[in-house]
Amino acid sequence: MTKHSWRVGLLFSQTGATGAVERTALQASLLAIEEINSAGGVLGSPLEAVVTDPQSVPANYGVQAERLLNTERIKLIFGCYMSSTRKLTIPVVEALRGLLFYPTLYEGFEYSPNCIYTGACPNQNSIQLARYLLHVHGNRFLMVGSNYVYPYETNRIMSDLVVQGGGKVLDEIYVPLNAESRDFTRALRQIDKLKPDVVFSTVVGAATALFYERYHDTFGSERAPIASLTTSEAEVADMRPEVAEGHVTAAPFFETLGTPAARKFVGSYKERFGPDAPVSACAEAAYFQMHLVARALRRTGTDDPDMLLRELREAEFDAPQGRVKIDAQNNHAYLWPRVARVDARKKFQIVWNPGVRVKPDPYCVVQSLDDWSADPLTPLPA
Amino acid sequence: MSDSVLRDLRELRVQVIHPPDDEGKNLVDHLKRIGCNVDAAWPIPDAASEHADILMLAIDFHARDAIRRLLRGHGENAAAVIAVVDYENPSTLQLVLESRALAVTEKPIRPFGLLTTIILARTLWLERRRTRRQIEKLEAKLAGQHKIQRAKAILIQSQGMNEDDAHTTIRKQAMAKRTSMEDIASAIITANELLTTKFSRA
Repeated sequence: MTKHSWRVGLLFSQTGATGAVERTALQASLLAIEEINSAGGVLGSPLEAVVTDPQSVPANYGVQAERLLNTERIKLIFGCYMSSTRKLTIPVVEALRGLLFYPTLYEGFEYSPNCIYTGACPNQNSIQLARYLLHVHGNRFLMVGSNYVYPYETNRIMSDLVVQGGGKVLDEIYVPLNAESRDFTRALRQIDKLKPDVVFSTVVGAATALFYERYHDTFGSERAPIASLTTSEAEVADMRPEVAEGHVTAAPFFETLGTPAARKFVGSYKERFGPDAPVSACAEAAYFQMHLVARALRRTGTDDPDMLLRELREAEFDAPQGRVKIDAQNNHAYLWPRVARVDARKKFQIVWNPGVRVKPDPYCVVQSLDDWSADPLTPLPA
Repeated sequence: MSDSVLRDLRELRVQVIHPPDDEGKNLVDHLKRIGCNVDAAWPIPDAASEHADILMLAIDFHARDAIRRLLRGHGENAAAVIAVVDYENPSTLQLVLESRALAVTEKPIRPFGLLTTIILARTLWLERRRTRRQIEKLEAKLAGQHKIQRAKAILIQSQGMNEDDAHTTIRKQAMAKRTSMEDIASAIITANELLTTKFSRA
Protein backbone atom coordinates (compact mmCIF):
# COMPACT_ATOMS: atom_id res chain seq x y z
CA MET A 1 0.00 0.00 0.00
CA THR A 2 1.42 3.38 -0.99
CA LYS A 3 1.65 5.90 1.78
CA HIS A 4 -1.08 8.51 1.43
CA SER A 5 -0.43 12.24 1.78
CA TRP A 6 -2.60 15.31 1.21
CA ARG A 7 -0.82 17.12 -1.61
CA VAL A 8 -1.34 20.88 -1.81
CA GLY A 9 0.06 23.38 -4.31
CA LEU A 10 1.89 26.51 -3.15
CA LEU A 11 1.84 29.13 -5.91
CA PHE A 12 3.91 32.00 -4.52
CA SER A 13 6.73 33.88 -6.25
CA GLN A 14 10.11 33.68 -4.60
CA THR A 15 11.77 35.96 -7.14
CA GLY A 16 10.78 39.05 -9.12
CA ALA A 17 8.94 42.26 -8.16
CA THR A 18 6.74 40.81 -5.42
CA GLY A 19 9.01 37.90 -4.46
CA ALA A 20 9.85 39.27 -1.00
CA VAL A 21 6.29 39.53 0.30
CA GLU A 22 5.14 36.36 -1.44
CA ARG A 23 8.04 34.50 0.16
CA THR A 24 6.63 35.43 3.59
CA ALA A 25 3.30 33.87 2.56
CA LEU A 26 5.07 30.79 1.19
CA GLN A 27 7.09 30.31 4.37
CA ALA A 28 4.04 30.82 6.59
CA SER A 29 2.20 28.18 4.55
CA LEU A 30 5.13 25.80 5.03
CA LEU A 31 5.25 26.58 8.75
CA ALA A 32 1.56 25.75 9.10
CA ILE A 33 2.07 22.50 7.17
CA GLU A 34 4.95 21.52 9.47
CA GLU A 35 2.85 22.26 12.53
CA ILE A 36 -0.06 20.23 11.18
CA ASN A 37 2.23 17.31 10.30
CA SER A 38 4.08 17.29 13.63
CA ALA A 39 0.67 17.10 15.31
CA GLY A 40 -0.09 13.92 13.36
CA GLY A 41 -1.20 15.32 10.01
CA VAL A 42 -4.77 15.01 8.82
CA LEU A 43 -6.50 11.71 9.62
CA GLY A 44 -3.10 10.05 9.91
CA SER A 45 -1.68 11.39 6.64
CA PRO A 46 0.72 14.31 6.32
CA LEU A 47 0.20 17.39 4.16
CA GLU A 48 2.72 17.51 1.33
CA ALA A 49 3.58 20.85 -0.28
CA VAL A 50 4.26 21.04 -4.01
CA VAL A 51 6.01 24.38 -4.39
CA THR A 52 6.21 26.31 -7.64
CA ASP A 53 7.73 29.74 -8.33
CA PRO A 54 5.90 31.91 -10.90
CA GLN A 55 8.64 34.58 -10.58
CA SER A 56 6.18 37.49 -10.26
CA VAL A 57 5.16 37.07 -13.92
CA PRO A 58 1.33 37.07 -14.15
CA ALA A 59 1.16 34.67 -17.13
CA ASN A 60 3.15 32.05 -15.19
CA TYR A 61 0.47 31.80 -12.51
CA GLY A 62 -2.19 30.45 -14.87
CA VAL A 63 0.24 28.04 -16.50
CA GLN A 64 1.60 26.74 -13.21
CA ALA A 65 -1.87 26.47 -11.67
CA GLU A 66 -2.88 24.33 -14.62
CA ARG A 67 0.18 22.11 -14.13
CA LEU A 68 -0.61 21.70 -10.42
CA LEU A 69 -4.21 20.78 -11.14
CA ASN A 70 -3.74 18.70 -14.29
CA THR A 71 -0.32 17.10 -14.06
CA GLU A 72 0.16 16.96 -10.31
CA ARG A 73 -3.51 16.06 -9.73
CA ILE A 74 -3.70 18.57 -6.90
CA LYS A 75 -7.06 20.09 -5.95
CA LEU A 76 -6.06 22.77 -3.46
CA ILE A 77 -3.83 25.71 -4.37
CA PHE A 78 -2.60 28.34 -1.93
CA GLY A 79 -1.19 31.41 -3.56
CA CYS A 80 -1.21 34.60 -5.68
CA TYR A 81 -0.48 38.15 -4.64
CA MET A 82 -1.14 40.77 -7.31
CA SER A 83 -4.72 40.90 -8.62
CA SER A 84 -3.40 40.37 -12.14
CA THR A 85 -2.01 36.99 -11.03
CA ARG A 86 -5.23 35.97 -9.28
CA LYS A 87 -7.30 36.93 -12.35
CA LEU A 88 -5.26 34.51 -14.45
CA THR A 89 -5.37 31.71 -11.88
CA ILE A 90 -9.08 31.71 -11.08
CA PRO A 91 -10.39 30.73 -14.55
CA VAL A 92 -8.01 27.75 -14.53
CA VAL A 93 -9.07 26.73 -11.03
CA GLU A 94 -12.75 27.07 -12.00
CA ALA A 95 -12.37 25.07 -15.20
CA LEU A 96 -10.39 22.28 -13.56
CA ARG A 97 -12.56 22.21 -10.43
CA GLY A 98 -9.88 23.14 -7.96
CA LEU A 99 -9.95 25.55 -5.05
CA LEU A 100 -7.71 28.59 -4.58
CA PHE A 101 -6.88 30.09 -1.19
CA TYR A 102 -5.81 33.71 -1.64
CA PRO A 103 -4.16 35.31 1.42
CA THR A 104 -3.74 38.84 0.06
CA LEU A 105 -5.56 42.12 0.49
CA TYR A 106 -7.10 43.25 -2.79
CA GLU A 107 -9.53 45.81 -4.23
CA GLY A 108 -12.74 43.74 -4.05
CA PHE A 109 -15.44 43.22 -6.73
CA GLU A 110 -14.88 39.57 -7.16
CA TYR A 111 -16.43 36.32 -6.13
CA SER A 112 -15.52 32.94 -7.45
CA PRO A 113 -17.14 29.86 -5.96
CA ASN A 114 -13.67 28.28 -6.37
CA CYS A 115 -11.77 30.84 -4.29
CA ILE A 116 -11.51 31.62 -0.60
CA TYR A 117 -10.23 35.14 0.08
CA THR A 118 -8.48 35.54 3.43
CA GLY A 119 -6.86 38.96 2.94
CA ALA A 120 -8.59 42.29 3.57
CA CYS A 121 -10.99 43.91 1.12
CA PRO A 122 -11.43 47.72 1.14
CA ASN A 123 -14.03 47.91 3.89
CA GLN A 124 -11.53 46.13 6.14
CA ASN A 125 -8.53 48.40 5.59
CA SER A 126 -9.20 51.52 3.46
CA ILE A 127 -11.94 53.03 5.64
CA GLN A 128 -9.90 52.60 8.80
CA LEU A 129 -6.75 53.99 7.21
CA ALA A 130 -8.64 57.00 5.84
CA ARG A 131 -10.26 57.68 9.22
CA TYR A 132 -6.90 57.61 10.93
CA LEU A 133 -5.10 59.77 8.37
CA LEU A 134 -7.87 62.38 8.14
CA HIS A 135 -7.95 62.62 11.92
CA VAL A 136 -4.24 62.73 12.60
CA HIS A 137 -2.44 64.03 9.52
CA GLY A 138 -4.78 66.18 7.45
CA ASN A 139 -6.93 65.97 4.37
CA ARG A 140 -4.75 66.93 1.40
CA PHE A 141 -3.69 63.67 -0.25
CA LEU A 142 -1.41 62.82 -3.14
CA MET A 143 -1.56 59.32 -4.65
CA VAL A 144 1.40 57.41 -6.05
CA GLY A 145 0.85 53.86 -7.32
CA SER A 146 2.06 51.02 -9.49
CA ASN A 147 0.40 50.85 -12.85
CA TYR A 148 -2.16 48.01 -12.59
CA VAL A 149 -5.69 47.29 -11.43
CA TYR A 150 -5.26 47.23 -7.64
CA PRO A 151 -3.78 50.75 -7.34
CA TYR A 152 -6.43 52.29 -9.63
CA GLU A 153 -9.37 50.84 -7.78
CA THR A 154 -7.81 51.44 -4.36
CA ASN A 155 -7.15 55.07 -5.26
CA ARG A 156 -10.74 55.47 -6.40
CA ILE A 157 -11.94 54.26 -3.01
CA MET A 158 -9.43 56.34 -1.05
CA SER A 159 -10.25 59.47 -3.10
CA ASP A 160 -13.91 58.96 -2.28
CA LEU A 161 -13.14 58.73 1.42
CA VAL A 162 -10.87 61.79 1.33
CA VAL A 163 -13.61 63.84 -0.35
CA GLN A 164 -16.15 62.57 2.21
CA GLY A 165 -13.76 63.81 4.88
CA GLY A 166 -13.80 67.29 3.34
CA GLY A 167 -10.36 66.81 1.82
CA LYS A 168 -8.81 66.93 -1.59
CA VAL A 169 -6.73 64.69 -3.83
CA LEU A 170 -3.97 66.88 -5.24
CA ASP A 171 -2.63 64.46 -7.84
CA GLU A 172 -2.61 60.80 -8.82
CA ILE A 173 0.59 59.45 -10.34
CA TYR A 174 1.40 55.96 -11.62
CA VAL A 175 4.79 54.33 -12.09
CA PRO A 176 5.66 51.06 -13.87
CA LEU A 177 5.37 47.84 -11.85
CA ASN A 178 9.14 47.33 -11.90
CA ALA A 179 9.80 51.03 -11.35
CA GLU A 180 13.36 52.26 -11.16
CA SER A 181 14.62 55.21 -9.19
CA ARG A 182 14.09 57.74 -12.00
CA ASP A 183 10.44 56.70 -12.44
CA PHE A 184 9.66 58.47 -9.15
CA THR A 185 11.13 61.82 -10.16
CA ARG A 186 7.84 63.29 -11.37
CA ALA A 187 5.98 62.12 -8.26
CA LEU A 188 8.61 63.65 -5.98
CA ARG A 189 8.49 66.92 -7.91
CA GLN A 190 4.71 67.07 -7.52
CA ILE A 191 4.95 66.28 -3.81
CA ASP A 192 7.51 69.08 -3.41
CA LYS A 193 5.28 71.50 -5.29
CA LEU A 194 1.90 70.57 -3.78
CA LYS A 195 2.99 69.74 -0.20
CA PRO A 196 0.30 67.14 0.63
CA ASP A 197 -0.53 66.19 4.23
CA VAL A 198 -0.40 62.51 3.26
CA VAL A 199 1.19 60.60 0.40
CA PHE A 200 -0.94 57.53 -0.26
CA SER A 201 1.17 54.82 -1.87
CA THR A 202 -0.17 51.85 -3.78
CA VAL A 203 3.29 51.07 -5.08
CA VAL A 204 3.81 47.33 -4.63
CA GLY A 205 6.76 44.97 -4.44
CA ALA A 206 10.44 45.85 -4.74
CA ALA A 207 9.71 49.38 -6.01
CA THR A 208 8.23 50.22 -2.60
CA ALA A 209 11.58 50.48 -0.79
CA LEU A 210 12.98 52.44 -3.72
CA PHE A 211 10.15 54.97 -3.50
CA TYR A 212 10.43 55.39 0.29
CA GLU A 213 14.23 55.77 0.00
CA ARG A 214 13.97 58.49 -2.62
CA TYR A 215 11.20 60.20 -0.66
CA HIS A 216 13.38 60.30 2.42
CA ASP A 217 16.44 61.46 0.50
CA THR A 218 14.41 64.29 -1.03
CA PHE A 219 12.48 65.53 1.99
CA GLY A 220 14.40 64.32 5.07
CA SER A 221 12.66 63.52 8.33
CA GLU A 222 10.38 66.60 8.38
CA ARG A 223 7.96 65.12 5.88
CA ALA A 224 4.37 64.01 5.49
CA PRO A 225 3.86 60.29 6.12
CA ILE A 226 3.47 57.81 3.31
CA ALA A 227 0.38 55.74 3.98
CA SER A 228 -0.20 52.33 2.43
CA LEU A 229 -2.12 49.07 2.54
CA THR A 230 0.68 47.03 0.96
CA THR A 231 3.85 48.30 2.64
CA SER A 232 4.30 45.43 5.09
CA GLU A 233 7.13 44.11 7.23
CA ALA A 234 8.49 42.48 4.04
CA GLU A 235 8.85 45.79 2.17
CA VAL A 236 10.13 47.70 5.23
CA ALA A 237 12.87 45.06 5.69
CA ASP A 238 14.60 46.44 2.62
CA MET A 239 14.67 50.04 3.92
CA ARG A 240 17.10 51.93 6.17
CA PRO A 241 15.47 52.70 9.57
CA GLU A 242 15.35 56.47 9.02
CA VAL A 243 13.69 55.88 5.63
CA ALA A 244 10.89 53.77 7.08
CA GLU A 245 10.22 55.69 10.28
CA GLY A 246 6.91 57.50 10.63
CA HIS A 247 5.11 55.87 7.71
CA VAL A 248 1.69 54.32 8.19
CA THR A 249 0.06 51.05 7.07
CA ALA A 250 -3.36 49.51 7.70
CA ALA A 251 -3.67 45.72 7.87
CA PRO A 252 -5.34 43.04 9.99
CA PHE A 253 -2.01 41.82 11.34
CA PHE A 254 1.35 43.25 12.33
CA GLU A 255 4.38 41.41 13.62
CA THR A 256 4.26 43.45 16.83
CA LEU A 257 0.67 42.53 17.72
CA GLY A 258 1.18 41.47 21.31
CA THR A 259 -1.54 38.86 21.81
CA PRO A 260 -0.43 35.36 22.90
CA ALA A 261 -1.59 33.86 19.58
CA ALA A 262 0.33 36.47 17.59
CA ARG A 263 3.48 36.05 19.69
CA LYS A 264 3.37 32.31 19.29
CA PHE A 265 3.01 32.56 15.51
CA VAL A 266 5.72 35.21 15.10
CA GLY A 267 8.02 33.28 17.46
CA SER A 268 7.63 30.03 15.52
CA TYR A 269 8.12 31.83 12.22
CA LYS A 270 11.36 33.51 13.32
CA GLU A 271 12.63 30.34 14.91
CA ARG A 272 12.09 28.53 11.64
CA PHE A 273 13.18 31.21 9.14
CA GLY A 274 15.57 33.42 11.12
CA PRO A 275 15.21 36.22 13.67
CA ASP A 276 15.24 38.91 10.99
CA ALA A 277 12.69 37.21 8.73
CA PRO A 278 9.78 39.68 8.29
CA VAL A 279 6.27 38.42 9.08
CA SER A 280 3.63 40.20 6.99
CA ALA A 281 -0.17 40.25 7.12
CA CYS A 282 -0.09 38.06 4.00
CA ALA A 283 2.03 35.55 5.93
CA GLU A 284 -0.49 35.52 8.75
CA ALA A 285 -3.39 34.95 6.36
CA ALA A 286 -1.43 32.22 4.56
CA TYR A 287 -0.79 30.61 7.95
CA PHE A 288 -4.33 30.63 9.24
CA GLN A 289 -5.90 29.57 5.94
CA MET A 290 -3.71 26.43 5.90
CA HIS A 291 -4.79 25.53 9.42
CA LEU A 292 -8.40 26.25 8.49
CA VAL A 293 -8.12 23.87 5.53
CA ALA A 294 -6.48 21.14 7.63
CA ARG A 295 -9.34 21.30 10.08
CA ALA A 296 -11.90 21.14 7.29
CA LEU A 297 -10.05 18.17 5.76
CA ARG A 298 -10.24 16.34 9.08
CA ARG A 299 -14.00 16.80 9.08
CA THR A 300 -14.72 15.92 5.47
CA GLY A 301 -12.03 13.27 4.95
CA THR A 302 -11.68 14.41 1.33
CA ASP A 303 -10.10 17.28 -0.57
CA ASP A 304 -13.03 17.44 -2.96
CA PRO A 305 -13.55 21.21 -3.37
CA ASP A 306 -17.34 21.10 -3.11
CA MET A 307 -17.23 19.14 0.14
CA LEU A 308 -14.50 21.36 1.57
CA LEU A 309 -16.32 24.54 0.60
CA ARG A 310 -19.41 23.41 2.43
CA GLU A 311 -17.28 22.79 5.52
CA LEU A 312 -15.42 26.12 5.22
CA ARG A 313 -18.51 28.31 5.00
CA GLU A 314 -19.11 30.02 8.32
CA ALA A 315 -15.99 28.23 9.68
CA GLU A 316 -14.36 30.17 12.52
CA PHE A 317 -10.72 29.93 13.49
CA ASP A 318 -8.53 31.45 16.18
CA ALA A 319 -5.95 33.08 13.93
CA PRO A 320 -2.94 35.06 15.21
CA GLN A 321 -4.89 38.30 14.45
CA GLY A 322 -7.93 37.12 16.44
CA ARG A 323 -10.89 34.90 15.67
CA VAL A 324 -11.63 34.97 11.94
CA LYS A 325 -14.57 33.55 10.02
CA ILE A 326 -15.30 32.73 6.39
CA ASP A 327 -18.44 34.49 5.21
CA ALA A 328 -20.89 31.95 3.79
CA GLN A 329 -22.23 34.33 1.19
CA ASN A 330 -19.07 35.77 -0.38
CA ASN A 331 -16.16 33.43 0.55
CA HIS A 332 -14.17 36.32 2.06
CA ALA A 333 -12.96 36.44 5.67
CA TYR A 334 -14.13 38.47 8.66
CA LEU A 335 -10.95 40.26 9.81
CA TRP A 336 -9.62 42.68 12.44
CA PRO A 337 -8.53 46.03 10.92
CA ARG A 338 -5.59 47.84 12.53
CA VAL A 339 -3.44 50.85 11.74
CA ALA A 340 0.28 50.93 12.55
CA ARG A 341 3.19 53.35 12.25
CA VAL A 342 6.82 52.38 11.72
CA ASP A 343 9.10 53.30 14.62
CA ALA A 344 12.83 54.12 14.65
CA ARG A 345 13.70 50.41 14.77
CA LYS A 346 11.60 49.62 11.69
CA LYS A 347 8.90 47.97 13.81
CA PHE A 348 5.22 48.62 13.09
CA GLN A 349 3.70 50.03 16.27
CA ILE A 350 -0.07 49.80 16.31
CA VAL A 351 -1.52 53.30 16.65
CA TRP A 352 -5.18 52.43 16.23
CA ASN A 353 -6.71 49.12 17.15
CA PRO A 354 -10.48 49.51 16.88
CA GLY A 355 -11.02 46.07 18.41
CA VAL A 356 -13.81 45.24 15.98
CA ARG A 357 -14.07 42.24 13.70
CA VAL A 358 -15.33 43.47 10.33
CA LYS A 359 -17.56 41.53 7.96
CA PRO A 360 -16.13 41.46 4.42
CA ASP A 361 -18.09 43.49 1.84
CA PRO A 362 -16.25 42.96 -1.46
CA TYR A 363 -18.96 44.59 -3.61
CA CYS A 364 -19.20 47.89 -1.78
CA VAL A 365 -19.00 50.68 -4.38
CA VAL A 366 -19.35 53.52 -1.91
CA GLN A 367 -17.40 53.06 1.29
CA SER A 368 -18.63 55.36 4.00
CA LEU A 369 -16.56 57.01 6.70
CA ASP A 370 -19.75 57.37 8.71
CA ASP A 371 -19.90 53.63 9.17
CA TRP A 372 -17.06 54.10 11.59
CA SER A 373 -18.30 57.14 13.44
CA ALA A 374 -19.54 54.95 16.29
CA ASP A 375 -15.96 54.32 17.20
CA PRO A 376 -14.26 57.59 18.12
CA LEU A 377 -10.60 57.65 17.39
CA THR A 378 -9.30 58.50 20.84
CA PRO A 379 -6.92 58.85 22.47
CA LEU A 380 -4.70 59.95 19.67
CA PRO A 381 -1.02 59.35 19.36
CA ALA A 382 1.23 62.39 18.96
CA MET B 1 -24.25 59.91 -14.55
CA SER B 2 -22.53 56.58 -15.15
CA ASP B 3 -20.93 57.06 -11.76
CA SER B 4 -24.30 57.48 -10.06
CA VAL B 5 -25.54 54.16 -11.47
CA LEU B 6 -22.66 52.51 -9.65
CA ARG B 7 -23.31 54.52 -6.54
CA ASP B 8 -26.98 53.60 -6.52
CA LEU B 9 -26.25 49.91 -7.05
CA ARG B 10 -27.33 49.00 -3.53
CA GLU B 11 -30.61 50.87 -3.87
CA LEU B 12 -31.56 48.82 -6.91
CA ARG B 13 -34.54 46.55 -6.49
CA VAL B 14 -34.22 43.47 -8.61
CA GLN B 15 -37.04 41.06 -9.22
CA VAL B 16 -35.94 37.59 -10.30
CA ILE B 17 -38.55 35.57 -12.15
CA HIS B 18 -36.86 32.22 -12.50
CA PRO B 19 -37.62 28.70 -11.28
CA PRO B 20 -36.14 28.14 -7.81
CA ASP B 21 -33.61 25.58 -9.09
CA ASP B 22 -29.78 25.67 -8.78
CA GLU B 23 -29.48 28.34 -11.46
CA GLY B 24 -32.15 30.48 -9.83
CA LYS B 25 -30.44 30.08 -6.49
CA ASN B 26 -27.03 31.04 -7.96
CA LEU B 27 -28.59 34.11 -9.51
CA VAL B 28 -30.30 35.27 -6.32
CA ASP B 29 -27.21 34.49 -4.22
CA HIS B 30 -24.93 36.57 -6.39
CA LEU B 31 -27.36 39.50 -6.53
CA LYS B 32 -27.43 39.44 -2.73
CA ARG B 33 -23.64 39.22 -2.65
CA ILE B 34 -23.46 42.35 -4.80
CA GLY B 35 -25.85 43.95 -2.33
CA CYS B 36 -28.95 44.54 -4.46
CA ASN B 37 -32.43 44.20 -2.96
CA VAL B 38 -33.67 40.95 -4.41
CA ASP B 39 -37.15 39.59 -4.61
CA ALA B 40 -37.72 36.23 -6.28
CA ALA B 41 -41.01 35.20 -7.84
CA TRP B 42 -42.17 31.90 -9.29
CA PRO B 43 -44.39 30.77 -10.95
CA ILE B 44 -44.47 33.63 -13.45
CA PRO B 45 -46.83 36.30 -12.06
CA ASP B 46 -49.24 38.24 -14.23
CA ALA B 47 -47.18 41.38 -13.79
CA ALA B 48 -43.73 42.36 -12.61
CA SER B 49 -43.50 44.02 -9.23
CA GLU B 50 -44.22 47.73 -9.62
CA HIS B 51 -41.38 48.47 -7.21
CA ALA B 52 -38.73 46.71 -9.28
CA ASP B 53 -36.01 48.64 -11.12
CA ILE B 54 -34.64 45.54 -12.83
CA LEU B 55 -36.53 42.44 -13.88
CA MET B 56 -34.42 39.34 -14.47
CA LEU B 57 -36.70 37.13 -16.48
CA ALA B 58 -36.03 33.49 -17.32
CA ILE B 59 -36.87 33.08 -21.00
CA ASP B 60 -38.20 29.56 -20.84
CA PHE B 61 -39.82 28.65 -24.12
CA HIS B 62 -42.25 26.25 -22.42
CA ALA B 63 -43.54 29.10 -20.32
CA ARG B 64 -43.96 31.42 -23.29
CA ASP B 65 -47.66 32.03 -22.75
CA ALA B 66 -47.13 33.14 -19.17
CA ILE B 67 -44.13 35.26 -20.23
CA ARG B 68 -46.17 36.98 -22.94
CA ARG B 69 -48.99 37.62 -20.49
CA LEU B 70 -46.57 39.26 -18.09
CA LEU B 71 -44.94 41.31 -20.83
CA ARG B 72 -48.26 42.61 -22.18
CA GLY B 73 -48.69 44.83 -19.19
CA HIS B 74 -45.01 45.73 -18.99
CA GLY B 75 -44.98 49.35 -20.14
CA GLU B 76 -42.09 51.59 -21.04
CA ASN B 77 -41.77 52.92 -17.53
CA ALA B 78 -41.70 49.47 -15.94
CA ALA B 79 -38.50 47.75 -14.81
CA ALA B 80 -35.58 47.20 -17.18
CA VAL B 81 -35.69 43.62 -18.41
CA ILE B 82 -32.63 41.38 -18.37
CA ALA B 83 -33.34 38.14 -20.19
CA VAL B 84 -31.92 34.99 -18.63
CA VAL B 85 -31.49 32.53 -21.48
CA ASP B 86 -30.39 28.94 -21.93
CA TYR B 87 -30.82 28.63 -25.71
CA GLU B 88 -29.91 30.82 -28.63
CA ASN B 89 -32.39 29.41 -31.13
CA PRO B 90 -34.76 31.68 -33.07
CA SER B 91 -37.79 30.77 -30.92
CA THR B 92 -35.94 31.84 -27.77
CA LEU B 93 -34.53 34.92 -29.50
CA GLN B 94 -38.03 35.89 -30.59
CA LEU B 95 -39.12 35.87 -26.94
CA VAL B 96 -36.03 37.86 -25.95
CA LEU B 97 -36.95 40.51 -28.52
CA GLU B 98 -40.56 40.57 -27.37
CA SER B 99 -39.39 41.09 -23.82
CA ARG B 100 -37.61 44.28 -24.94
CA ALA B 101 -34.65 43.14 -22.85
CA LEU B 102 -31.85 45.68 -22.48
CA ALA B 103 -29.33 42.99 -21.60
CA VAL B 104 -29.00 39.25 -21.58
CA THR B 105 -27.29 36.84 -19.25
CA GLU B 106 -26.63 33.22 -20.17
CA LYS B 107 -27.04 30.02 -18.26
CA PRO B 108 -25.23 28.47 -16.52
CA ILE B 109 -25.13 31.57 -14.33
CA ARG B 110 -21.58 32.75 -13.63
CA PRO B 111 -20.98 35.42 -11.00
CA PHE B 112 -18.40 37.17 -13.15
CA GLY B 113 -20.15 39.51 -15.56
CA LEU B 114 -23.49 39.79 -13.81
CA LEU B 115 -22.61 43.13 -12.22
CA THR B 116 -21.64 44.55 -15.61
CA THR B 117 -24.87 43.29 -17.17
CA ILE B 118 -26.97 44.93 -14.46
CA ILE B 119 -25.09 48.22 -14.69
CA LEU B 120 -25.44 48.34 -18.48
CA ALA B 121 -29.15 47.50 -18.40
CA ARG B 122 -29.82 50.13 -15.76
CA THR B 123 -27.79 52.76 -17.63
CA LEU B 124 -29.60 52.02 -20.90
CA TRP B 125 -32.95 52.17 -19.14
CA LEU B 126 -32.15 55.54 -17.58
CA GLU B 127 -30.91 56.87 -20.91
CA ARG B 128 -34.06 55.70 -22.64
CA ARG B 129 -36.21 57.30 -20.00
CA ARG B 130 -34.32 60.56 -20.42
CA THR B 131 -34.65 60.38 -24.19
CA ARG B 132 -38.35 59.59 -23.91
CA ARG B 133 -38.91 62.57 -21.62
CA GLN B 134 -36.93 64.78 -23.92
CA ILE B 135 -39.03 63.70 -26.88
CA GLU B 136 -42.24 64.34 -24.93
CA LYS B 137 -40.99 67.79 -24.06
CA LEU B 138 -40.02 68.55 -27.65
CA GLU B 139 -43.35 67.28 -28.95
CA ALA B 140 -45.18 69.49 -26.47
CA LYS B 141 -43.03 72.41 -27.49
CA LEU B 142 -43.66 71.75 -31.17
CA ALA B 143 -47.40 71.58 -30.57
CA GLY B 144 -47.12 74.89 -28.70
CA GLN B 145 -45.31 76.48 -31.62
CA HIS B 146 -48.08 75.34 -33.95
CA LYS B 147 -50.67 76.92 -31.67
CA ILE B 148 -48.77 80.19 -31.52
CA GLN B 149 -48.53 80.22 -35.31
CA ARG B 150 -52.25 79.66 -35.62
CA ALA B 151 -53.05 82.34 -33.03
CA LYS B 152 -50.82 84.80 -34.87
CA ALA B 153 -52.60 84.03 -38.13
CA ILE B 154 -55.94 84.74 -36.42
CA LEU B 155 -54.71 88.07 -35.09
CA ILE B 156 -53.26 89.07 -38.44
CA GLN B 157 -56.51 88.28 -40.16
CA SER B 158 -58.99 89.62 -37.64
CA GLN B 159 -57.07 92.58 -36.19
CA GLY B 160 -55.06 93.57 -39.24
CA MET B 161 -51.76 93.21 -37.40
CA ASN B 162 -48.47 92.32 -38.99
CA GLU B 163 -46.61 89.23 -37.77
CA ASP B 164 -44.30 91.08 -35.39
CA ASP B 165 -47.21 92.90 -33.74
CA ALA B 166 -49.13 89.65 -33.39
CA HIS B 167 -46.16 88.04 -31.71
CA THR B 168 -45.62 91.00 -29.37
CA THR B 169 -49.30 91.03 -28.45
CA ILE B 170 -49.30 87.39 -27.46
CA ARG B 171 -46.06 87.76 -25.53
CA LYS B 172 -47.29 90.82 -23.61
CA GLN B 173 -50.57 89.12 -22.75
CA ALA B 174 -48.67 86.10 -21.49
CA MET B 175 -46.47 88.30 -19.31
CA ALA B 176 -49.37 90.32 -17.98
CA LYS B 177 -51.34 87.19 -17.06
CA ARG B 178 -48.22 85.37 -15.84
CA THR B 179 -48.80 82.47 -18.13
CA SER B 180 -47.16 80.94 -21.21
CA MET B 181 -47.49 82.16 -24.78
CA GLU B 182 -49.01 78.77 -25.60
CA ASP B 183 -51.82 79.33 -23.12
CA ILE B 184 -52.60 82.71 -24.60
CA ALA B 185 -52.46 81.20 -28.08
CA SER B 186 -54.92 78.48 -26.98
CA ALA B 187 -57.25 81.14 -25.60
CA ILE B 188 -57.16 83.08 -28.88
CA ILE B 189 -57.82 79.95 -30.89
CA THR B 190 -60.74 78.94 -28.65
CA ALA B 191 -62.22 82.43 -28.71
CA ASN B 192 -61.90 82.53 -32.45
CA GLU B 193 -63.60 79.17 -32.79
CA LEU B 194 -66.48 80.34 -30.56
CA LEU B 195 -66.90 83.54 -32.49
CA THR B 196 -66.79 81.94 -35.90
CA THR B 197 -69.23 79.28 -34.71
CA LYS B 198 -71.64 82.01 -33.54
CA PHE B 199 -71.42 83.95 -36.77
CA SER B 200 -71.92 80.92 -38.93
CA ARG B 201 -75.12 80.14 -37.04
CA ALA B 202 -76.41 83.65 -37.32
